[in-house]
Amino acid sequence: MARSPQRSPTTALSLGLIITIAAVVAYSWYITLQISHLRELQNNLVEHNRRDSLQLLRVQNDLNSLGLAMRDMLDNDEPYPLTAWSAQFQRIRTDLDSALQAEAQLSIARRTPEQTQYLKDSLAQFWDAADRTFALAQAGKDAEAREQIRLSLQARQSTLNTAVSRLLVQNNESEQQASTQVAQIYDRVQSQVYRFLTATLTAILLTSLYLIRANRQLFARIEALSQQRSELAQKLISSQESMLRSISRELHDEFGQILTAIGSLLTRSEKRIPEGSALHTDLREVRDIAQSTLNNVRSLSQALHPVMLDETGLESTMDWYIPTVEKQTGIDISYQKSGVPFALDGGAAIHIYRVLQEALNNVARHSGAREAQVRLQFSAEALDLEVEDHGKGGVALAARSGIGLVAMRERAELLRGTLEFSQPAEGGTLVHMRVPREGNEANAG
Amino acid sequence: MAGLAASPRARANHQLLAPGAIAGQSGATPGFRLVDVTNAAGIQFRHHSGAYGGKLLPETLGSGCAFLDYDADGWQDMLLINGMDWPQHKRQRTTLRLYRNNRDGTFSDVTRRAGLDVEMYGMGVAVGDYNNDGFPDILVTCVGQNRLFRNTGKGAFTDVTHSSGLDGRLAFSTSALWFDYDRDGLLDLFVCNYVKWSAEHDVFCSLDGKHKSYCTPEAYRGETCWLFHNRGDGTFEDVTAKCGIFDTSSKSLGVAMLDYDRDGWPDLLVANDTQPNKLYRNQRNGTFKDVAVEAGIAFSAEGKARAGMGVDAADFDHSGLPGVAITNFDNEMIGLYRPAANGTYNDVAVQAGVGLASQNTLGFGCAFLDANLDGALDLVVANGHIDDTVRNIRGNVGYAQPPQIFLNNGQGKFQDVAASTGDGFIQPKVGRGLCYADFDRDGDLDILMTTNNGPAYLYRNDQQTGNHSIRFRLTGTKSNRDAIGAMVRVEHEGSTQERLVKGGSSYLSQSELPVTFGLGKRDKIDRVTIEWPSGKPEEYKSLAAGQSYDCIEGKGITPQGHF
Repeated sequence: MARSPQRSPTTALSLGLIITIAAVVAYSWYITLQISHLRELQNNLVEHNRRDSLQLLRVQNDLNSLGLAMRDMLDNDEPYPLTAWSAQFQRIRTDLDSALQAEAQLSIARRTPEQTQYLKDSLAQFWDAADRTFALAQAGKDAEAREQIRLSLQARQSTLNTAVSRLLVQNNESEQQASTQVAQIYDRVQSQVYRFLTATLTAILLTSLYLIRANRQLFARIEALSQQRSELAQKLISSQESMLRSISRELHDEFGQILTAIGSLLTRSEKRIPEGSALHTDLREVRDIAQSTLNNVRSLSQALHPVMLDETGLESTMDWYIPTVEKQTGIDISYQKSGVPFALDGGAAIHIYRVLQEALNNVARHSGAREAQVRLQFSAEALDLEVEDHGKGGVALAARSGIGLVAMRERAELLRGTLEFSQPAEGGTLVHMRVPREGNEANAG
Repeated sequence: MAGLAASPRARANHQLLAPGAIAGQSGATPGFRLVDVTNAAGIQFRHHSGAYGGKLLPETLGSGCAFLDYDADGWQDMLLINGMDWPQHKRQRTTLRLYRNNRDGTFSDVTRRAGLDVEMYGMGVAVGDYNNDGFPDILVTCVGQNRLFRNTGKGAFTDVTHSSGLDGRLAFSTSALWFDYDRDGLLDLFVCNYVKWSAEHDVFCSLDGKHKSYCTPEAYRGETCWLFHNRGDGTFEDVTAKCGIFDTSSKSLGVAMLDYDRDGWPDLLVANDTQPNKLYRNQRNGTFKDVAVEAGIAFSAEGKARAGMGVDAADFDHSGLPGVAITNFDNEMIGLYRPAANGTYNDVAVQAGVGLASQNTLGFGCAFLDANLDGALDLVVANGHIDDTVRNIRGNVGYAQPPQIFLNNGQGKFQDVAASTGDGFIQPKVGRGLCYADFDRDGDLDILMTTNNGPAYLYRNDQQTGNHSIRFRLTGTKSNRDAIGAMVRVEHEGSTQERLVKGGSSYLSQSELPVTFGLGKRDKIDRVTIEWPSGKPEEYKSLAAGQSYDCIEGKGITPQGHF
């Protein structure tokens, strides 16, 4: 199978990650810059302006309080002389001075010298007039003092009020300008946020699409590889089985016949030579060796591919094989058979036999158990083969290093069956192979 | 601020209590319960605002209450001020109520017998023995003419408004207090006035443009407070203008007496509604100077004049200087002012845990008192809105509101524990006046609260932690007989507490004159020092707790039995 060269997605993904991180860093820097600009604007302009306006409102409030006090003085409905208001005026004057001083500190940058001077002069004129009014009141000239309030004090208070109102309007205008700038910054940031979000979403989308495509290709490759591996394994198994069967047959048929013939010839020769002679003894020994070799060849042939599997089927083979293993390994194997047996296809039987062979090999090699159980169960749908030992367990893990486990699985898959390893409650390993009846039964259909 | 030179010395003597030094002081349980004993005590008072639908401004403000020992038997009696129907809408006759303490947890209505069943649109009350005869006299502030009732000493009162020279002044008076501003041994009278208002000149205000609603004070002109000097012959002289407190911009609702600069001369703090608060510093020459702006207490931290209602002053942080609490409108928070050494105040309401808790309440009466007797002054506040439709405008603000008790942990933090003091106290009500006294003489302070157009509530304080207290009742000889203005300092195990004997405070109300100190688990105090208004200090050592003591100026101290 031709394999197209596959490119790893790691490079593209790393590149995407670097671009994303760079975009986030750049965006964060931009936002920080904008926030810093905003903070500066708010601190230097908006906050400054707000505090200045608060002081101007305080001044305005004081001027209004003076206005109300003057109105009360003119109303003349209090049982107190005009001089009683002196303390009230003094309190307001103290607060007004303090407010104007604070306001002057806050308004330096935006106030013209002429405006400052005008405010100062207007205030001085007001307090001059107020002092004159209270001097008149002190001297008992209440009527003149009230006239002074009407003609001079109220007018000056009104002038001051107008001046302060104008400054407040000016502050409002600056505040509006600042608000516009702030709004522009917000708009810019908002627009950048949208752009950044769009770019990020596009990058995420493209990366995702790329990942999906790469994954699909990866999975397809894995699938193909798995298929190839499975096919290869099956071919290997088939070829191995074919070779073993051929060797087994050669051993059995060719060497078996030759050794049998040799044995017959030796028996005949032996009869022609008198007993007790040295030659008779030698011939007897050679005949025994030939017989022993014949037995070994038959055993080997049986081991490579039990002929009886083809001739009498799986059950008989297992009936022969299990005691053989017991003898060879010294493991006490309990064998149970249940259900109504059905004849298996020859190909299926050899795979089941091989799985049994490998499972018992693993028990002997890895489990350390002295006992094992083999269960063969026929049912209407399937054949179940279980090999269980209560040894140290982890047989499947230990066997994983070899190709035995792979071969067992492949054989199970060849039969469209399943193979499972588990640990029984008593410990050890349970190998369970399930082979569906359909497709594996001899003469089925 | 020359007078403040004394403050470092005073401060040095007022070490903060060590954390955990006082028993029963925990955030979770207040250590006391407030049991509603109004009915059990036989109090059947209901305030009548005269509201008939005309939505007249005074109907929103409620009335005050006072604890006083009118018969001088050593048991605190109770006075509940009442309004009345408006002249053109007479339906019923309502008067203030004087309840005599029966010394068994119950009270008897003795209003008629005492000659006080007089109809008037009463607002506040100030109790003081202005003629030094040993029996407290009563000033009732009114919408209209204020009334002065002289105690005859025989269980009755005589209306001396005219003979005292207080008549002929129609105003919208609110809180008032007796104090001896010139330290001549005679109690003088300070009266707050709200705005220039009369039923005839009531302004039509409306929220929807159709129906009349209650106006805010901005609709009316302010009115100066009054100071009347006691001539000592039963008459008073109006020294308002002469003493420098004349101010027609004020819209005053609450007044507290304090010794702001610790010079021994009484100063005044006036809470104004929508106008800057006033801190009148006594210049020791018969005049006052408003230093509220310099002291940082005139406005909120944002520079706004809030709607000041009730006010109290006390050394709640053991700094040796009086701190101040001012209740304000909803959305304005209570102002809790901690004194600094340079004569200024910092509003620490938010940091102390009082600010946010009072964000949605409209506070009126308030008082510093040691509710759990742990040695740290707590703050009790009566709440209730002025607008019965406020819920329609601000969903999270109700007309009836639960009162609050902010428990002081002694380390600058307060926590509202009203919900843990029992079921009765926490019930929402349209709270107004608030005062306290140990009416059952068990050593702790009980609370009396009035509501607008509703009942008065008497809450008995039942201690649960076994904390001790010590109480002092002072009688002046050279000083004014009530000893108003006397500073009592108690020292125990290195810590110092102080109480100023004072009238007024809270809102339209007056608490008892005897002073109570919580001592935690301590069973004695090392020393008590009394600085009499006459200037003479007296000191008594090693006094057992769990007792009340009578102190007579220049004549010693006498225990008056255990609690």
